[in-house]
Amino acid sequence: MTEVKTYSKLGEAIAKGEFILTGELEPEKTTDLSHTIHEAKEMAPYVIAANVTDSPLGIVTINSMAATHLIQKAAGLECVWQMTVRDVNKLGIAGMIMGAHALGIRNVLSLTGDHTALGDMPESKPVFDLDSTTLIKLVREMVDKGTINGNEIDAPPTLHVGAAANPNAEPMGAEILKIGRKAEAGCEFIQTQVVYDLDRTIEFLTEIKKYKVPILLGIFPMKSYGMAKGFDTFVPGVSVPKEILAKWKSVKKEVTDKKRQKELYDQYNYEFFKPFITELRKKNLLAGVHCMAVHYPRIFPKLDSIING
Amino acid sequence: MTTITTKKPFEEVLGALKRVNKIAIVSCGSCAAMCQTGGTEGAKEMTEKLEKEGFTITIAIVSDEVCDNRVMIKDLRKIDEEIQESDAILNLSCGNGAQSILKVLSRKYPLKPVFSANDTQFIGMTERIGRFHQRCLGCGDCLLNETGGICPITTCAKALMNGPCGGMVDGKCEVGNYEKDCGWVLIYNRLKDLGQLENFSKLREPRDWSESGHQREVVWR
Repeated sequence: MTEVKTYSKLGEAIAKGEFILTGELEPEKTTDLSHTIHEAKEMAPYVIAANVTDSPLGIVTINSMAATHLIQKAAGLECVWQMTVRDVNKLGIAGMIMGAHALGIRNVLSLTGDHTALGDMPESKPVFDLDSTTLIKLVREMVDKGTINGNEIDAPPTLHVGAAANPNAEPMGAEILKIGRKAEAGCEFIQTQVVYDLDRTIEFLTEIKKYKVPILLGIFPMKSYGMAKGFDTFVPGVSVPKEILAKWKSVKKEVTDKKRQKELYDQYNYEFFKPFITELRKKNLLAGVHCMAVHYPRIFPKLDSIING
Repeated sequence: MTTITTKKPFEEVLGALKRVNKIAIVSCGSCAAMCQTGGTEGAKEMTEKLEKEGFTITIAIVSDEVCDNRVMIKDLRKIDEEIQESDAILNLSCGNGAQSILKVLSRKYPLKPVFSANDTQFIGMTERIGRFHQRCLGCGDCLLNETGGICPITTCAKALMNGPCGGMVDGKCEVGNYEKDCGWVLIYNRLKDLGQLENFSKLREPRDWSESGHQREVVWR
């Protein structure tokens, strides 16, 4: 059996088969990362790594590679650099991959990226020279072969590359075959889009098990009713179930004490996600959980107790 | 195949013509006529509008295909006197038409300006007059044989080679508020119906841009 090479704590934990928890950080339109670094420090005891987003919804933020480096350095938390193919061509991305390694980044998540037309600079040229599959292939060529287009790299980068998958996608058949392409390209882990529908998630994860890529389940515990409603309205392809929205709304309406509100939101998240995650783990469909609830680091002790308690 | 054009706002045309007085109009009798941006009607309408603004129209002709240099050589020769007299040419065809006029006139009238009254939109498929669709970008590397006859370069908003992306919801595209079909779902459904899903499963390499995008030519040798 060939030994799996690992370059990061995340890569090592996946290789060892540990059940892992990752978080997500969303730097904003700012040069000051102190708020994000604070959140990173708060989640650090509970997660093995945290994703750093790349101008989600096409709304421009501080560059994700720079943010990843700075957060890792200041918070001491390993990160997963989210790289979309929206804004940079193949040549630029290859340069960034070497740059990322040189800055100490060891994990990258390959994403297409929300279209420029959706964001706050819709007049920008959408690039998409690569796509999320061919970016995986490029990373693997650079890391495994030490080449770009067959040309040798003096000191090649070492990064693990992950992919996204959407269990909510309809038609599901198209999504499944797409994951097959990403697996063929060499993705080393998958983080799914946020899920709320257990049956559908089981069906999807069972289908993609054949590709033998470790899966981290994307979840989005909701910090407040406003967050739940916003997520339901603005995030493409994700619907929050009506009963959850109703329950969260009742907390907002009926509970006046802010501290009690927080406790209830946290408790309800725990009650929803515990059986969800437990069931999927029991079916041996998961390598871990990826919590995308940004700006909600206080939920991590609860998630930790679901996973390890 | 039609080059789809739309009229520029008249104010913009006037802005381009602000330093000239005598104008020769060259209108296209094929694509632009169909798009109602050229042809006999277009030439007539533009003549009236410009005359109302105080311009002198030396001549207005309708040419079979302005983009064809051979046709232009013949047609412009016939109106050489009016061209000589005019301060500028106003083109009522597409971008290729404008540059065809420029090229044909370049030897005898190198400084004669050629202005355009139209914006060129795309190479179009015609559903009916007044409803045209872009289904081919002329990218130079046709994928249709592998994609069930549906072009991902024009039907996918991101022109992806390995779609669909995460911006697809229930077969619709995130660009345009989920009103348009996702190109890659169209391709998936078509290939599924044809029993050719192996073509969908195939990992496609990024497009090769090394040969495209700079004064492309097709030359028979």
